[in-house]
Amino acid sequence: MMKNINSMTILAGSLLILLSAVSVNAHHPVQGKFDPDEEMQFSGQVTKVDWRSPHVHVFVNVTDNNQSVNWAVELENPMILVNNGWKENSLRPGDAITVAGILARDGSRQIWGEQVSLSDTGRSVYSVSELSPNKPLSPRPVPRWPQDNKPALGATPGGIGGLWNYPTEKALVEDGVSVAMNDYGLLEDINDAALVAPMQDWALARYVHRQQRSLRDDPMYLDCKPPGGPRQYQSDLGFQLIEDKQNERIFVLLGSGNRNYRIIYLDGRDPSGQVGGDDDNPLFYGRSTGSWEGDTLVVDTRGFNEGFWFTNGGLPHTEKLAMVEKFTRTNFDTLHYEVTIDDPGAYTRPWTASWEMSWVGGQELPFSLCQHNRQ
Amino acid sequence: MYKGLIKGISVVFGLSLMVSSAMAQEGHPLKGSWIGEWSGNTALGDFVLIVMDWDGENVTGMINPGTDNMEIDNVELDTSDWSVEISADGYTIDATIQSLELPSRALVGSWRSRDGRGDFEIVRQ
Repeated sequence: MMKNINSMTILAGSLLILLSAVSVNAHHPVQGKFDPDEEMQFSGQVTKVDWRSPHVHVFVNVTDNNQSVNWAVELENPMILVNNGWKENSLRPGDAITVAGILARDGSRQIWGEQVSLSDTGRSVYSVSELSPNKPLSPRPVPRWPQDNKPALGATPGGIGGLWNYPTEKALVEDGVSVAMNDYGLLEDINDAALVAPMQDWALARYVHRQQRSLRDDPMYLDCKPPGGPRQYQSDLGFQLIEDKQNERIFVLLGSGNRNYRIIYLDGRDPSGQVGGDDDNPLFYGRSTGSWEGDTLVVDTRGFNEGFWFTNGGLPHTEKLAMVEKFTRTNFDTLHYEVTIDDPGAYTRPWTASWEMSWVGGQELPFSLCQHNRQ
Repeated sequence: MYKGLIKGISVVFGLSLMVSSAMAQEGHPLKGSWIGEWSGNTALGDFVLIVMDWDGENVTGMINPGTDNMEIDNVELDTSDWSVEISADGYTIDATIQSLELPSRALVGSWRSRDGRGDFEIVRQ
């Protein structure tokens, strides 16, 4: 008898381990979980505001056919809501609200809240603006370091801190190509896929497959994989460039992920395996060496692994990826970023994409730690 | 019955390790180490291990790397349905990639050679 109990206990434990390894899609591109073709609107009374990462949820009692049912309204990340001036108590239990949004694909009573408003006044709540900060009418000059007169890529020497955010592009698309896609890099028309970049056949097929699955397999969301490559400059949460002049290196700190950072070495070292301990293992951020060409920082990065998506939207890459990035602070409030992708494993030729970011002065990097997924 | 239970537990543990330990591989879908069975292979045994790589133009690799290894002669990938044909030393494997989006994706199909034929299934590790 005892033997049977022990055996059953082991079997139950084994099943638990198996179940724990199964994916739970917690944070995600919106259309991976919600269907944009299934729009809905309802009014009801707030029962709870669950204010936590990766997504805020507002629970609402809705009366339908004389029956009260509870709906979960999913909203943006708390950091994004805070950046837009909202607080946890901007809505309270008992408030009457009207919700318009798109329904969950799995048929559950979940809705992505595209618009939430107070029913009595119509005032919008938890709305998010994607507008970058207002820039001065006359561009302010580029701040420079006193010791070498090089442009300051981050906070001004002796000045207040800040970060770069509001990228004008949210996904990699070859310069000169115009295709419509949302902030997650999801194409409006899948027939545009081949235009995005000069992909090899297998890479195009894999890109289309990811797009057709609404990007729900994105390992950054599913497995908290780092946003390596150009993707680190496509986040909603921004990044900082911290220049360590004395040690000739620049730290790139990201406002998302698990307190990830990347180092760009400016001391002329060999880019391969230069960091003690990692030898030549391929890395999520690769190995970066940089130098100045006039007022432009040129960074050569290689040594990437293949365990992540290097852009929103799911363009594939291989370990053969080599990236040349050019950072130019064109004025105090604008950073121009250009990246040339050379990956003969996935693309038919090198290609270039570029965009701009805006300076957000006086703001610290928000921490949006990815620790809730696949648990 | 006890023997059956132990076998069941082993299978569950094996599956849990496979699900949780496959290295993420978001590049070429065939690259990596694959383990599984070509059932009914009396010449080489049911167990098969295949290692494949992508050099930017061709898939290269080895079947059962070790003393009895076979170098892969050719791999054809049809991305319209993710079907794959692998040729090596008189063996031909016709399979289809399943669960492409998962690190632990599978290749499922059949094998044939002058010695016989049978089902084929390997899972990426």
